[in-house]
Amino acid sequence: MRASRWLVVANILKYSILAIGAVIALGPILFALYTSFELPADYPRIVPFSRLTVWNYRYVFDNAPVLRWYVNTIFVTFGVVLGAVVVNTMAGYALARIRYPGRALSFLIVLAILMVPLQAILIPLYLLVAQLGWLNSYQALIIPFIANPFLIFLMRQSFLNVPTDLEDAAAIDGASRFKSFLKVAVPLTMSGIATQAILAGTWTWNSFMIPVTFTTDPNHYMMTVGLNSLQSQFYTLTTVQMAGVVLLTVPIVLMFVVFQRLIVPSFATAGIRG
Amino acid sequence: MRRDWGAAYALLAPAAALLGLWFIYPIVDTVVLSFQQVNLFHFGERTYVGLTNFHQLWADPAFHHSLFITMIFVLLVVPAQTVLALVLASVLQTAGAGKTFFRTAFFLPYMTSTVAVTTVFMKLFVEGGPLSASISRVFGVPDTTWYAEPSFALPFLVIVYVYMYIGLYVVVFVGGIENVPVELHEAAKVDGAGVFQRFRFVTVPSVRPYVLFVIVAGFIQAVQIFDQAYVIASNGAILGSPAGATATLVIFLYQQAFRLNNLGYGSAAAVVLLVIVLAGTVLTRRLLPERS
Repeated sequence: MRASRWLVVANILKYSILAIGAVIALGPILFALYTSFELPADYPRIVPFSRLTVWNYRYVFDNAPVLRWYVNTIFVTFGVVLGAVVVNTMAGYALARIRYPGRALSFLIVLAILMVPLQAILIPLYLLVAQLGWLNSYQALIIPFIANPFLIFLMRQSFLNVPTDLEDAAAIDGASRFKSFLKVAVPLTMSGIATQAILAGTWTWNSFMIPVTFTTDPNHYMMTVGLNSLQSQFYTLTTVQMAGVVLLTVPIVLMFVVFQRLIVPSFATAGIRG
Repeated sequence: MRRDWGAAYALLAPAAALLGLWFIYPIVDTVVLSFQQVNLFHFGERTYVGLTNFHQLWADPAFHHSLFITMIFVLLVVPAQTVLALVLASVLQTAGAGKTFFRTAFFLPYMTSTVAVTTVFMKLFVEGGPLSASISRVFGVPDTTWYAEPSFALPFLVIVYVYMYIGLYVVVFVGGIENVPVELHEAAKVDGAGVFQRFRFVTVPSVRPYVLFVIVAGFIQAVQIFDQAYVIASNGAILGSPAGATATLVIFLYQQAFRLNNLGYGSAAAVVLLVIVLAGTVLTRRLLPERS
């Protein structure tokens, strides 16, 4: 009897802690969502749902190049993802599956670059982009971020995790190395490739330091940079800013909820850097 | 594994070229720049000045201040996120129903943009705003605009940062706790250990390597703080504001390079950041538990 009452108390305590955690985690997101549908005059009061409108969304699209920023963000994100999937998959395959002179060294170089934060190399990156005349361009936000040491590492792991038997059989049948890579190995690592695409996509979508440094023309802003600029443009219009927050966040949240089983572990590994 | 040199080099070539130009060259150039004097507007003209930049850093109160601010930030962030994540993870681990929901909820902030989160928190912590008003009522601190008040701005940054990162470390700890054999818990139960005793004497010792790892990994991440500090500083117009309260190491190097046009001097600070991060990473590799 005592034991079961203790169990009830422990359960209440357990779920209280989890509920408080969830409220703290989701609260700011729900606050932004709700506020983005309030009329500026109603904020910060809480009003019934019948008073909520899409006024802020219309206002922000009419008074800032949000559509342009959205298109920029989508274009840059897809550019990085497509490039990354091709380049890092190829490199990961070579590192995992082929024996060539300098293999250990090349993997060591990948691991070494993995440790270097972007913040530490931002100045020469900027110089390189400026010298190429790429400031305020798409390519400056795409090309430098296609090859990624963590994603190469990830793809190497993915290829190491699939058995080699099928490829060996293909080799005996006379398939070339490229054919066996494309037709046999790649289809077996689709989940690794999907993970890679989601990681690269989320990082690019959310990236801020690079676009805020490489773009000064509002027409070339990504959503993060644009949202940051809304702060001064609509300083008093909290509700409009929250519409910007929702526009920036919704695609990532949806993707996360759909793919969370696949991506939580890989994000955890990536977040603490291999 | 077959030998196939040509194919290997062909498959590696694009990644090698891109990494060489966009990672390896900039790493080398950061070090080269740190020994040079370069103006942002005439970046073609580079003058070697030896160790001048480092001597100057050594004597620069603004640089000392940025190291101090970064240190305080790290000292507040790392213990807070480690303890909170450990508590949440151990509770989450024992939850039956709703485990996936709570894990998703905790992890979601980590997936969202730093700019979005910081913007929302700036509204919550404005004078009279939902959180600053209630915190003021409960804890008796003044109801103020946190990010504009010198003594509140750094704690504000800590709150925004911990909010985003806690879910990441919860997941790391859950991974660690799941590696604890169930038999250990069962044996402790048989010996009459309660929930808290089992937490103290079974869970804590088993996840100790993960705790060390999360501390060091958290340190490496936290010293790189930039986005949130940039956003609260009037969109980057007055970096480090209010009154230098959020002038972290990366903000310092960014300000030197891109606001004051001293690319060489900023790069010297970047080299210091690089050394700190590499030291941390080497330490992590040492502490890293064998991962499954």
